[in-house]
Amino acid sequence: MSFDILPQALVNGLMAGTVLAVPAIGFTAIFAIRGYPNFMIGAMATIGAYAGWMANSSAGFSLWAAVAVAFVAAALIGLVTEKVAVRPLEASGALTMAIASLAMSIVLENAIRFFFSNNLRGFDTPLERDVVMMGIRFGPQQLRNLLIALGIMVAIWAILKFTRFGRAMRASADNPDLARLKGVEPVRIADITIAMAMGLCGLGGALLAIDSSVDPMVGTRLLLSIFAAAVLGGLGSIPGAVVGALSIGIIEEMTVAYLAPAYRLAISFIVIILVLTFRPQGILGAKVR
Amino acid sequence: MRSFLDRNSINRRSLIKGIGAAATLTLAAPAILRAQEAPLRLGTLTPLTGAGGPYGPTMVDAVRKVVDNINGSGILKREIILVSEDSQTNPEAAVRAARKLIDVDQVSAIIGTWASAVTTAVAPMCWESKTMLFTVSGADSITQLPHDGYIIRTQPNTTLQGLKFGAFAIELGGKRVFFLTPQTPFADSQFVTITSSVEEAGGVTERLIYDDKKPSLRSEVDQALRFNPDVIILGGYTPDTTILMRDLYRSGFEGHLIGFGYSINQDLLNGLPADVVEGAYTLSPSPAEGSKAYDELAELVGVAAPDTYTCQVYDHINMILTTVAKAGGVSGTEIRDTIRSISQGGGTVVENATAGIEAVQAGEKVDYSGASGPCDFNDIGDIVDANFRYEQVVDGKITLLKIA
Repeated sequence: MSFDILPQALVNGLMAGTVLAVPAIGFTAIFAIRGYPNFMIGAMATIGAYAGWMANSSAGFSLWAAVAVAFVAAALIGLVTEKVAVRPLEASGALTMAIASLAMSIVLENAIRFFFSNNLRGFDTPLERDVVMMGIRFGPQQLRNLLIALGIMVAIWAILKFTRFGRAMRASADNPDLARLKGVEPVRIADITIAMAMGLCGLGGALLAIDSSVDPMVGTRLLLSIFAAAVLGGLGSIPGAVVGALSIGIIEEMTVAYLAPAYRLAISFIVIILVLTFRPQGILGAKVR
Repeated sequence: MRSFLDRNSINRRSLIKGIGAAATLTLAAPAILRAQEAPLRLGTLTPLTGAGGPYGPTMVDAVRKVVDNINGSGILKREIILVSEDSQTNPEAAVRAARKLIDVDQVSAIIGTWASAVTTAVAPMCWESKTMLFTVSGADSITQLPHDGYIIRTQPNTTLQGLKFGAFAIELGGKRVFFLTPQTPFADSQFVTITSSVEEAGGVTERLIYDDKKPSLRSEVDQALRFNPDVIILGGYTPDTTILMRDLYRSGFEGHLIGFGYSINQDLLNGLPADVVEGAYTLSPSPAEGSKAYDELAELVGVAAPDTYTCQVYDHINMILTTVAKAGGVSGTEIRDTIRSISQGGGTVVENATAGIEAVQAGEKVDYSGASGPCDFNDIGDIVDANFRYEQVVDGKITLLKIA
């Protein structure tokens, strides 16, 4: 085993994990507030990628503005889709809602194919060569993505910690009945959570697409890793989603460096099984009694 | 007054009249009978979505237009029913679609499976149900399956492709050749043949099989660069090759890149900055450019330069229709037993189904030569001879270097 590749693999893993953390926060937030896994996150990542690409290459928006457009587009489409196709099934239970979200994910992905075809698109941005520091390669765009992702995480943390909405959201996640008694409006909280979460997925999809390409499979490529990150960190825990995403990013890149790329998901899920065996609630998840 | 029963009963006179009329119709109107011959049911299973999505729609269009022309002319004297399904470039989706084509639509042949993983998944269902499978997939292992003759492949196999890739890498001055490929049914066989070509010239090879669903391939590129390659051969499809080429450019790799023509294509050029792909080489089986069949196909589908897969499925449908005219039946087994008698062995050279059917009906021996090439097959269904196109991205455009 060669240890000279360890720093580069760690950096690659952290970079990948940070971008993964943004949609993973969205996924786990929906689970915390609504109590079901919403698999539309993949489709929302794709929608965000296309919205950002259109804003950048057709409307001439800067990358920063395009990322904001990706957030807004995915938030709006995600909220409307959830209210129309998933929420009416609430009485049928979490499993039915999860299946409905998976079905809508497929519908949305194919709608994108219908309107935009399968052709690959690219953001209108020059591709920069990596910079090398202390023998480790860093991509300038990846560093920018890292900053955006970290900024988003800090903003979400601040919203949850210091705002009235954040407190209401945490209250709804902890004890919905008690929160309702205290005057928290569950529908409003659910709407804002869904919009924010879907927006984050769209933003994550746009960040990934800036670094790779825009195609209908953008979200599908992210879906399993997002799910793994949220489960590993603890479903419903936002700090857990961040820890889970960073862990999955590092595990995947270490697998590539030291084992074989084909095993990356298998190793990730073996780690998840091991963690859940000893900590069923995930790394930072709350115990369910 | 006669009863209702009496008025509607059949007497001897009316029975004789009826038989006479039926006999007259039988003799005088063979066209009516011909129209009642069993229809020929065919299915296309092409990638309308997924990695092969850029190719599937045009492939189906070509098949559909040939079928419409022959149905319109009535020359085959039986109706052709064409059902098109999407393989999604995904083996599981392809198996579901093939099951529907075989069990529900009861097709005699499935045309156009793209991607070796798809074809490998679908093939056993075809030979078990005695349905012919015409494929454009390249993995050696496909025709080595126990298919009992039910597979015909117009794509050169990966042994041949690997030898060409290896030889071209050497031609470009490569001594250290790295093969970056996703897991495909041809990843192993191709690496073996690339290696044999390169080692014969004194070079060395190494390879990495990556996960093509991974959003970033930076670590994979790091692995490849540790080998200090002067040539990297990219064995993936367009989406993952796009990510790889970005990461290779960022890494500062200055050697030669060679990829399949189906992955380094116009779509990839549209999705990447020009300087990332500039200078990259591609290899692909060459259609028979300049042939009558190629020109007819170009006009038929309205594309100036049809890709090799469209050329291949165009040949599939033309060969099937000519075969059915000769066999007189429509079953997969009859197509299997007859196809080589119209595709090779000399005779009148025909380049489309109309010419083939007319020649067969005139009692001539025919030898089909199509848009993808001569279309001669060995015992296991592999194409015997094929040329390759060597192209390079120059000034943002895919430019032909040579056909050899």
